Amino acid sequence: MNWKTTITVVALALPNLARADSRWVLESSTLTYHISHPLHQVDGISHDARGKGTCHAGQCDFLIAAPVKSFDSGDSNRDLHMLQVTRGGQYPMVTVRTRLPESASSLSSVTADLDIEFAGQKVPYKQVAFQRSTDGARSRITGTVPCTVADFKIDPPSLLTVPIKNEMPIRVDMTWRTE
Amino acid sequence: MVTTEIDMKTVTTHLLILFCLSALVIQMPSLAFADEAAANSSSPATESAPSLQDLGFSQAQTQGNAQDQATLDKRSHMLKIHQRWGLATTAPLIATLLLAPGGKSNSSARSLHGGLGIITAGMYFTTASYAIRAPKIPGTKEKGPIRLHKALAWIHGPGMIVTPILGAMADEQRNAGQKVHGIASAHGAVGGITIAAYLASILAVSIKF
Repeated sequence: MNWKTTITVVALALPNLARADSRWVLESSTLTYHISHPLHQVDGISHDARGKGTCHAGQCDFLIAAPVKSFDSGDSNRDLHMLQVTRGGQYPMVTVRTRLPESASSLSSVTADLDIEFAGQKVPYKQVAFQRSTDGARSRITGTVPCTVADFKIDPPSLLTVPIKNEMPIRVDMTWRTE
Repeated sequence: MVTTEIDMKTVTTHLLILFCLSALVIQMPSLAFADEAAANSSSPATESAPSLQDLGFSQAQTQGNAQDQATLDKRSHMLKIHQRWGLATTAPLIATLLLAPGGKSNSSARSLHGGLGIITAGMYFTTASYAIRAPKIPGTKEKGPIRLHKALAWIHGPGMIVTPILGAMADEQRNAGQKVHGIASAHGAVGGITIAAYLASILAVSIKF
């Protein structure tokens, strides 16, 4: 009787063991913002983002964050101006939160609803498309978030009195691994 | 023996049912997303999501500082004024160059040229003062065109001091009825180099090359 009970308990526990929470960790990333000005095309790049994803009951919650000052456009003066206009002293982090179904980890394209906090503003972006490719235990996610300067109530910086364009797409290239 | 066989069969059956149920339960989250469109879409995270602390960022990194922002604001404000005054200074600078009297100039032409030169120098040093007095941000490693912009200041800065002095000397010699001679004869060349360095300094931060 005892061994039957044991087997039953083990069998009942199996689903829960199989559904143990999985975790994702951002292994490497390149986040690139692009801004346009009649005299300049600028790309600011950060490799300093960190991210984690926790999965539970078939849903995965992801958080990706990077210090605003980690974006490097190749011009320290411009980067400091960027830090100022985006209120980076007061709001030093840019964070992205999203929730994805665990089943999305097997798809080659994913659309995600993102909540981006930047420059003291929290802006939702709906149905942003990303491509996913797999390399062993790693998943590479690429895509572009169609941000604009106005979305975050940023006073557009100007050069020679001409302001930059409103569009500020952010290219995302991230490699995640499961823990 | 028969009892044991029955027991084993019962247990096996129960186990099979349990495994089937287990498999079903494992699949349940996926079943909730019946079609692919629903399966690969998402919604923003909830309270169960990781926090900034989970990512290993320190409090100093994640918490804003009003003082830091105020310093950045002051710096940008002063450099914007620097930029505007710098652009405005090009007008009297070029006018001074265009109205430079030749070797056989009269006194009034030299006075006009000298007056414009004084205005240029005044505006130039006002421009420079905003850049010099703008707060420095600790930990900033300078790179990019700003390095050339600043390096050129070591040419046009001294040039903007020396050029009017040489001009005054040349004017004095002309007023004394002499031909411009000695170091004063370098006035034109020094002025030319100063203007070239000044315009290059503007272009260095305006045009990507």
